[in-house]
Amino acid sequence: MRSAAAGRPASAPHAPLLAIPSARALTPWALLAPALVATSAVVFLPVLVTLWMSLHRFVLFEPRTTPFVGLANYASVIADPTFWASLARSLVWIVGGVSLQFSLGFAAALLLNRRFAWRGLARALIVIPWALPSVIIGLIWTWMLDFNLGVINTLLVRLDLFAHPIAWLAQPDTAMIAVILALTWQGFPFFAVTLLAGLQGIPREHYEAASIDGAGAFGAFRHVTLPGLAPVMATALLLRMIWVANSLDLIFIMTGGGPGTATETLPLYAFLKAWTGLDYGYGSALAVMLTLLLLAVVAIYTLRDSG
Amino acid sequence: MKRRTLIAATAATAATAALAAAPLARGRAAAPATVHWWYHFDNPRASPAALVAAFEAANPGIRIMAESIPWGGGADYDNRLYTALVSGGGPDCAMVKLENLGRLMEMQALEDLGPMIDAWSGKADINPDIWRINTAPTGVRYYLPVQYVMLYLYVRRDWLDAAHLAPPASFPEFLHAAQAMTAKGHWGFGLRGASGGQDFWATFVLGGGAKLAKGGLVTPAAIAADAWFIDLFRKWKVCPPSAPTDGFLQTINNMKAGVTGMTIHHIGSANALVAALGDRITAVPVPRGPQGTGWATFGDGSNAIFAGSRNKEAAWRWLSFLSTAKNNVAFNLLTGQVTVTTSGAAHWTAEPKRFVEATLASLPLAHVFPAVPATAEFVSTVWPQMTQKALLGEITPAAMMQSFEKLYFG
Repeated sequence: MRSAAAGRPASAPHAPLLAIPSARALTPWALLAPALVATSAVVFLPVLVTLWMSLHRFVLFEPRTTPFVGLANYASVIADPTFWASLARSLVWIVGGVSLQFSLGFAAALLLNRRFAWRGLARALIVIPWALPSVIIGLIWTWMLDFNLGVINTLLVRLDLFAHPIAWLAQPDTAMIAVILALTWQGFPFFAVTLLAGLQGIPREHYEAASIDGAGAFGAFRHVTLPGLAPVMATALLLRMIWVANSLDLIFIMTGGGPGTATETLPLYAFLKAWTGLDYGYGSALAVMLTLLLLAVVAIYTLRDSG
Repeated sequence: MKRRTLIAATAATAATAALAAAPLARGRAAAPATVHWWYHFDNPRASPAALVAAFEAANPGIRIMAESIPWGGGADYDNRLYTALVSGGGPDCAMVKLENLGRLMEMQALEDLGPMIDAWSGKADINPDIWRINTAPTGVRYYLPVQYVMLYLYVRRDWLDAAHLAPPASFPEFLHAAQAMTAKGHWGFGLRGASGGQDFWATFVLGGGAKLAKGGLVTPAAIAADAWFIDLFRKWKVCPPSAPTDGFLQTINNMKAGVTGMTIHHIGSANALVAALGDRITAVPVPRGPQGTGWATFGDGSNAIFAGSRNKEAAWRWLSFLSTAKNNVAFNLLTGQVTVTTSGAAHWTAEPKRFVEATLASLPLAHVFPAVPATAEFVSTVWPQMTQKALLGEITPAAMMQSFEKLYFG
């Protein structure tokens, strides 16, 4: 195929820089304009405002004094031990939550890819946790894990697995596990559905060729299924990692970051600083730091993909 | 000459225009003033529509736009209000709480209601103690009380009878009663360690020797009072193991389910507890501290007019309507709290009498947290985080009190 430049006669005059674009050239922009305007209004503008606030001392109940402070908020963030502690908890939250969701979702996808009775119904039902709002899931799990009245403690005690009920959400060492379990239940359908779609995209001939070459079930899984799913897995993991890193609703509903600060992740810390402390300048700096960290992950993924 | 003609013609035109505009101006003046009022009721199905209709019928020149604002534990409501006021799009008036007074004063967002209150016929029908508590530290009256509750002690009467004990009036009696009620599967005291539990803490720590004044939170007596409070959970184990993160629903549901024998809340829970427990539940004022002092949190609810409002007079007429006698009774039947009017309280039948009596008997112990900007952060974040850490043994009571001292007094 020839490029437009290659097809242009050598002697043809250059088009003027300010030439009026043709209707054909403008059509894509016209079609994209509503989406661009909407995205600018609800994404880019708030991002710019957040950046602006992070460079100011912006306390909501002191609206007459919002001086420009440069990078002072960022310097405070770096020196803030709570920032580092909440970042560490975020890593536990992300790695724990995403790996469990991925494992469970992958297992569910392999199962749903096999033929069995009521498979269609199972595929429909598995999406339910993903479809429920986080607030509902948080409340469901809070009451299921309740020390005195929760069904989980009742079952564990009645089945003699524990002598006494456990205050899952009131102990630092079990609270994070409890919220990660709730997150896993909410998020594994995403991996199940996405990986199932990926599995169905692997040509059957590849499995037949592997079988002819003497591959068993594990060999086919290792040499056909995993390579075939790798791009889908990478994209799904990246997306889910970003969502989980940003999410705070489940933790907010279930523990509010407690007990103490045992489940206070970085986005929740930023939210509490801004929303209840009303320190929007500092909260914005925390949010920008989180965004930069996530952008680094995206950059690694993009470079790996383009490489 | 030409110039005089021009001036005369201009004057005549202006006069004609003014005369022509006069009926329009009169028409504008006669148009109803619209008062935007923000409110929150615990029961989202409760609506002030009947009160609005009654007011508008009596005040044809005023239209009330009542907007229900989500509460979200208080933070949602407060943030929407602050943001709206800062952006210039706020309401004319709104329901407010004393814990916000410091921040609203810092924002210079409030209108001084003093002159209007002094000229108002309903002033004398509100208890002087309620006026006192709702006055700013500067002496200015920004708030018009519209409802209140007193935090008191809910007690399982049958559990006390079984232990041959009277309702506790002092801290040692309270601990003794809590220990007597604690057995396998149930506990003497439903402690609230999540946000909102500062009222429990205040009863035992501010009522037990600590003071919300510079240095007053870190005296030996203050730290000893805090250690005693923490020991209810850690040493004496009279609270459920879930107490560090138990919130309102957990503490009340535990009482209803017979899991706990005592807890602290206000009359808003009385009917639900009576529905579950009948005559077995009663209420008494919270116990007093070693020096005979006591702290029962005054759960306030007021209305305020904002300085940026262009309808202050109309807003005042609406707010004073809500705080007047039978209107205030009707209002509090919607909110589930108690009327601020003396005349209304005399005929109050919304809850069983014993809970109204406990409320009134608690008034001499009524206190509120100081109206400074730090209070809102103390209530929402600092108190629950530090208290939970102390309950779990991650920090000492002394460190807990030092964090509060630092927040309030630097």
